[in-house]
Amino acid sequence: LNITDSTARKSIQKTYDLTKYLEHQLRSLAGPYLNYLGPPFNEPDFNPPRVSATETIPSAMMDFELWRNLNDHLRLAENYRAYSHLLCYLRSIDGEVARAELRRSLNHFCSSLQGLIISIAGVMSSLGYPLPPQLGNPTRTRAGVPNDFLKKMDDFWLLKELQSWLWRSAKDFIRLKKKIPPFVAIRLDAQRF
Amino acid sequence: QETHIQYERMSTNITLKCGTVDWDAAVTWTANGTDIDKSQLNGSRLILRNVDLSHNALYSCFEVPSWQLKYQTTLKVGHPPREPILACRSNSYPSSFYCSWHLTSPTYIPNSFNISVRRGLSQLTCERDAFPKNRCHIKYGKVFATERYKATVTVTNALGKNSTSITFEEYSIVKPDPPENVVARPVPSHPCRLEVTWQNPSLWPEPESFPLKFFLRYRPLILDQWQHVELMDTTSHVITDALAGKEHIIQVAARDFEIGTWSDWSVAAHATPWMEDPKHPTTNAQLAETTTTTTTTTTTTASTSTSTMLLHSPTTKICE
Repeated sequence: LNITDSTARKSIQKTYDLTKYLEHQLRSLAGPYLNYLGPPFNEPDFNPPRVSATETIPSAMMDFELWRNLNDHLRLAENYRAYSHLLCYLRSIDGEVARAELRRSLNHFCSSLQGLIISIAGVMSSLGYPLPPQLGNPTRTRAGVPNDFLKKMDDFWLLKELQSWLWRSAKDFIRLKKKIPPFVAIRLDAQRF
Repeated sequence: QETHIQYERMSTNITLKCGTVDWDAAVTWTANGTDIDKSQLNGSRLILRNVDLSHNALYSCFEVPSWQLKYQTTLKVGHPPREPILACRSNSYPSSFYCSWHLTSPTYIPNSFNISVRRGLSQLTCERDAFPKNRCHIKYGKVFATERYKATVTVTNALGKNSTSITFEEYSIVKPDPPENVVARPVPSHPCRLEVTWQNPSLWPEPESFPLKFFLRYRPLILDQWQHVELMDTTSHVITDALAGKEHIIQVAARDFEIGTWSDWSVAAHATPWMEDPKHPTTNAQLAETTTTTTTTTTTTASTSTSTMLLHSPTTKICE
């Protein structure tokens, strides 16, 4: 275990904390935004089928065994790619929201999400992994959606997916953190002084 | 002649026909072999009013005077099912969850249940427990799903049908079992400490990837007020502010780091902190010395109580 593992562990912990912070932020953003979309999107039991258009929003759902056996590089890369897509989509919403206060919250969330992406990139580099290629032309933005209802449906699923990704990421980073035992990290620190 | 089961609703009036026999034919009806009074007959038909469970019986109709059995039925009185109560929970996340259902009031007649569980549009298999348990188990298979789950239970009996549906997020039904093997021990030489250890609930399948955090509560039996402490990444804790010499009750609850709700409290553990062995004087001299020491301390405390250590019995020593 070389020095970078202690850096990696701290970087993973910081990224985990960021996902928790974003989760908290999303909770306070989602309600007002769904209310902004209006019925039926803000109704508690609204449970629409996932129409094909929204399937291009990266889904956090995956087979549990596959998830458990993901190698670290792939695990991080999937997080990195998903949030890059989601951020891109979120930014396309940002410009169209009429309510200034909501726009500010969205903007703030986008910045935090950008911070998470950078943090994930930091973990990857501290573990010596190459970053996934930057997104070419974003696969989906709001501009490309034909009508208003489908735009709102996209937004609805986007918020849902963000929630799921943040929960998944938290588990991803717990798993990654457990692979670098803290004890070793402390001992390394001690040697430095 | 026919023999079959006839289900009827409680509190209704019932007319039993004697098979194909004419209305004015001479017949005799029995209930479980006992003759029924002619006053309850309307011609060859048997009239039962405002039926209840006491009317449950094998009813037979015999033609008179040949005593040939012309009709027989087993009457069962009951209710149509009301809306069943349905709940789903995962105490083994993320591998599986279970749904269970029950009726809030008895129907007194046999019911059959059908359960279906979907995630979005995908139908999931629900492995039923052996009868009579109204429960079935579903493998998540996929985790971190955004689409909601929908569970529907339909109950049917001879008198009617009813159903209940619930929708839920994957995470919202996560509730671990309580922690297991909660043990509390005194810590030698520490009159106000108790060491508590416990284990993850055995059904929780992935503590490595899905770690649990814990809530520990404790109090001396003589007090009602609980003390609480939340703990992460550990299955042990040392209580440092136990009341010396007093038996304590300790319980632990568990919850996933991120999602779901707290488990119920664990089975209680009991322990009393370590106590110094009371000194037994072996010689008369030591006895004399102990007595004078006690007297001096008592007189001193009257004037300068703050600076002098009160000589208490070992059970009520105040900890540092």
